[in-house]
Parts: sequence; structure tokens; C-alpha cells
Amino acid sequence: MALDFSIILRFQEALLVGLWMTIKLTLICIVLGCSLGFFIGLARTSRSTILRAVSSVYVEFFRGTPVLVQLFWIFFCLPLILGVELSNLTSGVIALTLYMGAITSETFRASLKSIGPEQFDACVALGLPRRVQVTNVVLPQAVLRAIPTLLSNCVSLFKESALVSAVGMADLMFVGQNISNNTARPIEVLTVVALIYFVIAFPLTRAVTLVERRVLAKLAI
Amino acid sequence: MGYSFDFQSVSFGPLWEGLIVTLELTVAANIIGVVLGFPLALLIMSRFAPVRLPAMLFVEFFRCTPAIVQIVWFFYCVPMLFNVFLGSMTMGILALGLNLMAFNAEAYRAAIQAVPREQLDAGIALGLNPLQRTLYIVLPTAVRASIPVLLTNGIGIFQQTALVAIVAVQDLMYQAKTLATETYRPIETFTIVALVYFAVSFPVSQIVGYLERRRQLMMS
Repeated sequence: MALDFSIILRFQEALLVGLWMTIKLTLICIVLGCSLGFFIGLARTSRSTILRAVSSVYVEFFRGTPVLVQLFWIFFCLPLILGVELSNLTSGVIALTLYMGAITSETFRASLKSIGPEQFDACVALGLPRRVQVTNVVLPQAVLRAIPTLLSNCVSLFKESALVSAVGMADLMFVGQNISNNTARPIEVLTVVALIYFVIAFPLTRAVTLVERRVLAKLAI
Repeated sequence: MGYSFDFQSVSFGPLWEGLIVTLELTVAANIIGVVLGFPLALLIMSRFAPVRLPAMLFVEFFRCTPAIVQIVWFFYCVPMLFNVFLGSMTMGILALGLNLMAFNAEAYRAAIQAVPREQLDAGIALGLNPLQRTLYIVLPTAVRASIPVLLTNGIGIFQQTALVAIVAVQDLMYQAKTLATETYRPIETFTIVALVYFAVSFPVSQIVGYLERRRQLMMS
């Protein structure tokens, strides 16, 4: 069969609207998810058993179930439980933020753990109070170390965001599938959709490697 | 809230059948991924650009596009492009298997690069040819070193199998969707299904954690 990629140009605007939805969703969830993840990461390393247990259950549960199931649960069950109608975007943001929070908390936890005990000894020797210890010694190093992994978490989130098409949110994937069903040209449309995702995600994965090298150089290890 | 739970109306028969399909998909995709990921890793590390570049493109493409796009693409486009009509199960296995192959190739590559240089030198000194060096020195060391990542990827693909429900393969997620619409009990159904997925992947992730801790102890 003859391939005709010019069909894409006719639907350029629709695809761009979908892409914008994907990007918007990803950005909102990156900001909310990273903040959530940071606090969960702190909770998982805290001394309080209750905080540790609750945060561990949350993280293990969200990492141990498919994102698609989480999305369905939040889209169909949360409104029933809360008794309020949630808009598509709100549900999507809640679901992906919870997912992002779970994966980034692991990143933050690993980077918190990588700070050696000698750093704490040095703080004690310098007589720094606990608050200064956390804000001036632990935090900058932990965040710096977490950046490369956080970036790859963002790429994962960007890819997982395509799942919201399954619950009817008009993101890039949803728009692409719609066009391909209506025009009966899945090869052209779906290939272009895949390429758009690739064009965005691939440079980001390269950036991860670059940033990693930078961070390692900065930490001199 | 005025919601009363009713777990009775969720029938376990279809869910059980769905779980079997999900596990079949997982095992088959893992066989493809674990076996073919290694040669693919060797191709990525090849010195000849005409061999290396297509292999790298393959890997990067699978790693940088959403799995759902890959699966939908596979189901719609492969029959049209190549004029072959495979069963939906075979298609699902192929799509997931190729995806896992790309991820595992990266895991193998990292492990192969971590094989100490001296071991290869020793192989040369012993007069082993390149094939023997790969089979007897690189392969065993690299496979052992990559087991935790392979397992993690394996659980990853177990979770990704839920995506085939979108293209109507009757896996656990598909049965859950059907059941939820038939019984009007989405909360109960999706909660049970989430717990089932969790019950399978959680023990495996604990094993990965154990293996990694043991490895760190052995290293230090």
C-alpha cells in the first residue's frame, strides 16, 4: 500500500494541541511529583516508625502496580469515594503525581543515603545545629546527586503520560489514535506520533548522561 | 460517603483466566528479552558502525517512546506493513518482547563494560579465540552482574503487560475492565486487580533488593 505522510500536515493543529496537553500534564506532574517525592524520601529515612511505614507502603504500592491500573483506579474509583466529580485533567494530574512522587522518592532516598557519615561527624565537630546541618550540608549535596536520576524519572513520566489516552484524555497519543482511526491511516499517523515522542525524549536521555558527568566532576568522585 | 462495598459481586473466574494470560505474556516476553538482549548488546558495542548504528537506533527507539505507542503501533501497523496476520497473543508477546530486549540490552551492555580488562587479557594469553572469550569469560560474568537489573526489567514488563488490554488481549487488566463495567463495581474490581499485580511484583522486587545488598557485601 502507498504511504502518504502529507496527511499529517492536514492534522498538524490537532496533533499540536495533543502535544501541548502531554507537555502541560508532564510539567505539572514533574513539579508536584518532585516536591511530593522529596518529602516522602525524607519520611522514608526518618526515625519515626509510623512515618516510615506509611511512606514505604505508599511507595511500594505505586511501584508495584501498573500505572494503567493506578490511572483507572483514580479515574473511576476516586470520584465514587470522594463523591465529587473530578475533571479529566485533575484526575490525570493526581494519578501521575502520585506515580512520580513514588519514583522520585526512591531517587531522593538513595541520594540522602549516599551522604557519608563523616559529613555528619564534621557537622558535630563544627557545632552546627540540626537545622543548619539539614539545609546547608545535607540538602545541597542530596539534591545535586539526585539531579541525573530525577531527569530520567522525568523522561519516564513523559512516556507514562501517554497512558492517559486510555482513559480519554486528549493528549498526543489520544489525538493520534483518533486521527488514525478516522482516516484509516495508522501507519503514517502512529509513526509520526512515535517520532514526536522520540524527538522529545531522546535528547533528554542524552542530557542525563551529560548532567551525570557534570555532577560527578563537581563532586570530584 | 454513601458507598457500600460489595466484594461478593466480583467473580474471580475471569480474573484468574486473565492473570494466566498476563503471566504467559510476561514469561514469553522475558524469554525473548533475556535471550536476545545479550546478542543485541554485543551488536551495540560492535566496532563496525553499520552494525552498531541500527542496533543503537533500535534500542533508543524502544527506550524513548511510550510503551503504549509501541504496542498500538505494533497491532495496527505490522499487519498492514508486512501483510502478516498473527494472533493477538503472538503480537502482544512480540511487542513486549522487543521492548524488553531493548531494555535488557542496555543492562547487559553496562555489565559487559564492567568485566575487568585483565580477564580478557588472560583469555588472550590462554589462546582463546574471540568467540570463546565471549562465551566463557564475558557471558557468565556479565549475566551474573546484570541479574538484578534483568529482574527489575522483568517486573517492569509484567506491569507493562497491562497495556495490551487496550488492544483487546484478554489479560488481567482487560478482564478487570470488562468486569467493572458489567458489575458496576469499579472500586472493588480495580482494587483487587491492583492487589494481584502488587502481590506478584512485590516479592520479586524484594528479591532484587536482597541480591543487590548481597552483591554490595561481596564487593566490599
